[in-house]
Amino acid sequence: MDSLTMAQVEKRGGLLRKSSASKKPLKEKVVLMYDEIFMTEDPSKCSPRFWEELFLMKVNLEYLEGKLESLDGEELMKIKDNINCLFQHCIQALGEEHPIRVVNALQTLCALIRGVHQKNKSTSGFDIINMLMGFDKAELCMKNLMESLDSLLCAEGSESLKSLCLKLLLCLVTVTDNISQNTILEYVMINSIFEAILQILSHPPSRREHGYDAVVLLALLVNYRKYESVNPYIVKLSIVDDEATLNGMGLVIAQALSEYNRQYKDKEEEHQSGFFSALTNMVGSMFIADAHEKISVQTNEAILLALYEAVHLNRNFITVLAQSHPEMGLVTTPVSPAPTTPATPLGTTPPSSDVISSVELPLDADVQTSNLLITFLKYSSIVMQDTKDEHRLHSGKLCLIILTCIAEDQYANAFLHDDNMNFRVNLHRMPMRHRKKAADKNLPCRPLVCAVLDLMVEFIVTHMMKEFPMDLYVRCIQVVHKLLCYQKKCRVRLHYTWRELWSALINLLKFLMSNETVLLAKHNIFTLALMIVNLFNMFITYGDTFLPTPSSYDELYYEIIRMHQSFDNLYSMVLRLSTNAGQWKEAASKVTHALVNIRAIINHFNPKIESYAAVNHISQLSEEQVLEVVRANYDTLTLKLQDGLDQYERYSEQHKEAAFFKELVRSISTNVRRNLAFHTLSQEVLLKEFSTIS
Amino acid sequence: MGDTVVEPALLKPTSEPTPGPPGNNGGSLLSVITEGVGELSVIDPEVAQKACQEVLEKVKLLRGGVAISSRGTPLELVNGDGVDSEIRCLDDPPAQIREEEDEMGASVAAGTTKGARRRRQNNSAKQSWLLRLFESKLFDISMAISYLYNSKEPGVQAYIGNRLFCFRNEDVDFYLPQLLNMYIHMDEDVGDAIKPYIVHRCRQSINFSLQCALLLGAYSSDMHISTQRHSRGTKLRKLILSDELKPAHRKRELPSLSPAPDTGLSPSKRTHQRSKSDATASISLSSNLKRTASNPKVENEDEPVRLAPEREFIKSLMAIGKRLATLPTKEQKTQRLISELSLLNHKLPARVWLPTAGFDHHVVRVPHTQAVVLNSKDKAPYLIYVEVLECENFDTTNVPARIPENRIRSTRSVENLPECGITHEQRAGSFSTVPNYDNDDEAWSVDDIGELQVELPEVHTNSCDNISQFSVDSITSQESKEPVFIAAGDIRRRLSEQLAHTPTAFKRDPEDPSAVALKEPWQEKVRRIREGSPYGHLPNWRLLSVIVKCGDDLRQELLAFQVLKQLQSIWEQERVPLWIKPYKILVISADSGMIEPVVNAVSIHQVKKQSQLSLLDYFLQEHGSYTTEAFLSAQRNFVQSCAGYCLVCYLLQVKDRHNGNILLDAEGHIIHIDFGFILSSSPRNLGFETSAFKLTTEFVDVMGGLDGDMFNYYKMLMLQGLIAARKHMDKVVQIVEIMQQGEAGESPGVWD
Repeated sequence: MDSLTMAQVEKRGGLLRKSSASKKPLKEKVVLMYDEIFMTEDPSKCSPRFWEELFLMKVNLEYLEGKLESLDGEELMKIKDNINCLFQHCIQALGEEHPIRVVNALQTLCALIRGVHQKNKSTSGFDIINMLMGFDKAELCMKNLMESLDSLLCAEGSESLKSLCLKLLLCLVTVTDNISQNTILEYVMINSIFEAILQILSHPPSRREHGYDAVVLLALLVNYRKYESVNPYIVKLSIVDDEATLNGMGLVIAQALSEYNRQYKDKEEEHQSGFFSALTNMVGSMFIADAHEKISVQTNEAILLALYEAVHLNRNFITVLAQSHPEMGLVTTPVSPAPTTPATPLGTTPPSSDVISSVELPLDADVQTSNLLITFLKYSSIVMQDTKDEHRLHSGKLCLIILTCIAEDQYANAFLHDDNMNFRVNLHRMPMRHRKKAADKNLPCRPLVCAVLDLMVEFIVTHMMKEFPMDLYVRCIQVVHKLLCYQKKCRVRLHYTWRELWSALINLLKFLMSNETVLLAKHNIFTLALMIVNLFNMFITYGDTFLPTPSSYDELYYEIIRMHQSFDNLYSMVLRLSTNAGQWKEAASKVTHALVNIRAIINHFNPKIESYAAVNHISQLSEEQVLEVVRANYDTLTLKLQDGLDQYERYSEQHKEAAFFKELVRSISTNVRRNLAFHTLSQEVLLKEFSTIS
Repeated sequence: MGDTVVEPALLKPTSEPTPGPPGNNGGSLLSVITEGVGELSVIDPEVAQKACQEVLEKVKLLRGGVAISSRGTPLELVNGDGVDSEIRCLDDPPAQIREEEDEMGASVAAGTTKGARRRRQNNSAKQSWLLRLFESKLFDISMAISYLYNSKEPGVQAYIGNRLFCFRNEDVDFYLPQLLNMYIHMDEDVGDAIKPYIVHRCRQSINFSLQCALLLGAYSSDMHISTQRHSRGTKLRKLILSDELKPAHRKRELPSLSPAPDTGLSPSKRTHQRSKSDATASISLSSNLKRTASNPKVENEDEPVRLAPEREFIKSLMAIGKRLATLPTKEQKTQRLISELSLLNHKLPARVWLPTAGFDHHVVRVPHTQAVVLNSKDKAPYLIYVEVLECENFDTTNVPARIPENRIRSTRSVENLPECGITHEQRAGSFSTVPNYDNDDEAWSVDDIGELQVELPEVHTNSCDNISQFSVDSITSQESKEPVFIAAGDIRRRLSEQLAHTPTAFKRDPEDPSAVALKEPWQEKVRRIREGSPYGHLPNWRLLSVIVKCGDDLRQELLAFQVLKQLQSIWEQERVPLWIKPYKILVISADSGMIEPVVNAVSIHQVKKQSQLSLLDYFLQEHGSYTTEAFLSAQRNFVQSCAGYCLVCYLLQVKDRHNGNILLDAEGHIIHIDFGFILSSSPRNLGFETSAFKLTTEFVDVMGGLDGDMFNYYKMLMLQGLIAARKHMDKVVQIVEIMQQGEAGESPGVWD
């Protein structure tokens, strides 16, 4: 009993030192050495080989970090020289031949950086630099550090060593909540490790091991003082044109996203096969929504951010989106055993990469040849199902932003609309009371743009709720609009069931009107209404350039006439508000003007239909009969041409989205940091293995 | 059957002068063919001399008088060199050859030439008939091949072997399968006679080398491994593949000398990184291809085995075919194919070419989304389109630099859109006045790093957050402007008109993905792919297509191609307006190959399935009513092609004639494909099919019925064609006959 506690005490190092001073002799040697550093005297004074010996000792992270944490700023300043010394010797040790020293130095650096930061949250970044390296030596110190890390990452050396380097970098990047306040990163900007990251991504074996960390690191570095200064990582990322690298990056992202999709699917199936399926039949939809929340898997914002930065900054990356990766599904287990952890929280856990997916994927026939875009669409369909919690709202928004970027890109549009590239995309649909779960297997094989449109329609019909996600709706309609603009411009006649989109849009209008008072308190619903009406205007006046058949044009009219009540109500609402001198006057009057053609159609055809019914003594006209009337009366209808319908404002991050991205990066940083703690420690397992080899 | 070979007994003994051509020496040969010493040792002088003596002995016995006088000359000459008869064609070349031989012959020592001529003049009276035949203008490659095959005299064979050098390359190329098959399967003398020529040509042309290597492999594959003959073919193949036959005297042009500007050549900066592509995992392209693919510089420094990139290219295409065959559905196959090809694209451009093309080029890109899987039950043949850049010389021109895939933005495909009957001005005048914010220049050609860094500076920063500034503007501005009105009827009408204008395209059918791709007019497809290609702007850009077959023996197809080609030229020569379309075949091995697809043609099966019409109604739909010019010419084309193919089917005993194997092109021609079962072979050993050829009532209907003029024309064409074929039957039979060598069970069928 006694010996057991003793062992525990020893394990925890000196944390309990104060309370049990009598057990002092039992302390590890390394802890004793740490203690020497925390004295004001130079530890190498009495033992000249002190530093050499230190890096042969197994690092006690907890102790070192805890010790640093326990000191306040002033106390720390007193031992500044020793800390500077330790930091410098760490960097020196990185150049050593013996890997154990390198490993220990890397871990010590982690502990140092974190320990200093945790204590000094209030102090400025400059103080921290001073504390760690001293102002005078900081530049050289960091240069050496970055160069050592760069060469370690690029060398043919041990994989766990590389992994530790990346962890250290991630640790460095995420020590502050707000990445832009992390002054040390200024040195990471000057001494770029961009090329090392690229090399990891372009080289398949290293990509498999470290791709995830590398991509997350890159995404974070790109966001350092994004809007204030010239960030070399942004510049460099935007001009990468090496296909192997871009592809590698795409693969890492695709794997992370598909891993998420797989986990979600597994959970979903678990729930369906369980007692829930029986329950849901009895209980109402409220319950389903609850059950649904439970099966949600935490989203991966870091990887999504990486995807966004790649799509947004690098034009060449667009080609990667459509790049299929046959090996993703079919390659047999890779040679290297990937260090995977079963639990996948946010942050830096590599989503159990190739090993698992290569075993799982072949079973799912439609995954066999997938591409990043399909994986992303599926991921989006899951994420956008539920936007209640903040993370998911962020993720959903980011998904829509990425889609906006894609919808603006000429090349992306070319392959989205490519008639030869047909895919079945199984989007996840929210189980809802009034509709059955669509049979997955009967999905037609269509151009990818159909899946994008499906996703947008799905979003429109599933988010009409009190907590109205106005911003997401606007983005969603914008995506549809941008796709239509491309189709109009390039005369792409997509065989899509446009009717679903039309009725979704009309339902949305209906929702806006029925919740007018509630919504108007929070949002300007007229901008959204105007966008919807203008989408209809686009179909009405430019339908000849992109609709697939003449009858689809007839159907458009039929749908408008059928739902004329909604448009009538909208008109009377906007008329009312535009004649009042209220705050919505201008916004509402725009909608009034935009409605002119829809009203012309309704006013033109309704009397004709009524008289047709009267003449033929039919109370309820069938669809075919209405269409007949429509077809017969086109020629007497005059429409007003509205210009600018096919133009849009391009997406711009700089001003409008800056706040969102700052917030997002902050949350990612926190998550990465949180997961890093666990991992840097668990790294010891690897290191043990490492020490036995050498 | 017996009378097929024109080899009158009268001529046979007179073949004696061949081994003893009038004097020349080995030195002159060396200067004639600027090759190394390699092939000189191929024909052992002693063997040749012995052979000549034997021939002379024989001749002496038969016709003492004539032969004796000529005895002295040949004997003293033969000892010079075994292959010296080669020089003779320089002394007295046929008119058309003289010119091209002149420069080669210029180096021949004048003295020897004169001497030779003098001596031959002395002998001319006693010259044999055979030699006179060989030296006459009538002696063509077909006869040469025939004598090479039938003659048992080594001297004659050696003479013809040398004589091959005098024929035009294209003419000899046609008989390459025969030559190589003889080389592999016939006795040593024939082989020795052929080899110098083959070696010589291999040195000249990389394409020829490839074809030889592939055919040698394919024709040797059925033999027993241990046989000595087998090793002869294999040895030559190895020699070719080992790259010892590359032209030593030729150096690749320096980049500065090459026609760089229009091909956009620039040494690639991205060198080693591209070789690390993920694609290597699935497409096992060797380092050779990788090196050439991205980095012409490296290639110049240490030239790789020059056939290696091409062989890797072919190998990866075949590997794709094999992998596709494992997938169950067409849809999966198509998707897989597209993704595999997109990875293959990463390795291009490279020093690879399509052997089925008729000009020198480098493959630069495979437009992967255009590829389709063809209809086949258990195998997975597929059709790919290949973008190439034509070049002057495959060997010396540098491989074009890679252009990234998304560079197409600069081509601005919108501008090239056919104005579908309406311009913006027609739609409404106000459109042209609206400033186009989504300006192509601005949006697509942002290539500056500075601009890429962050998004374009926002012009309308004051716009309300969520709405397109322009939609707002345009609507508000309308109030001040004169409103423009359009009729809804016009929009609807334009929609239906534009759809009516587009040619009858086939509907997409997941079970038959190739139908749509093949139906699209070739020119249209070329235009479309060119627009979407980053290389499309280059003036020497060309589009080729090829069917990759994996798991099928195309040697029979190649034979059929040769027969068809021969028939075609016979009918042309005899002025019979029969129409057939031989399509090129590349035999890669005994169970794989490539086929040049017939463009603008879909199978009759697809026509009927898609259109749900009878053939006649389909003709009427595609070409117009009975009396229109278009229909009449389509009908004439149909009749001429139908008659041609009926004869082909009859002569070659083509089986397995279902509608999937008969194509119909845009001009009304029918084209038979798939000659897998010809002569005595039948599907599943069903034996002979009862009908001699396929002529359905539907076909007759297109011709205008049994009583129509066109049907009579058809019958007449058949008769004329048959007579013409009979007249030149030896040329046709010869092709098949030689290929029988080495194929045990194959009989040539009935030739009556």
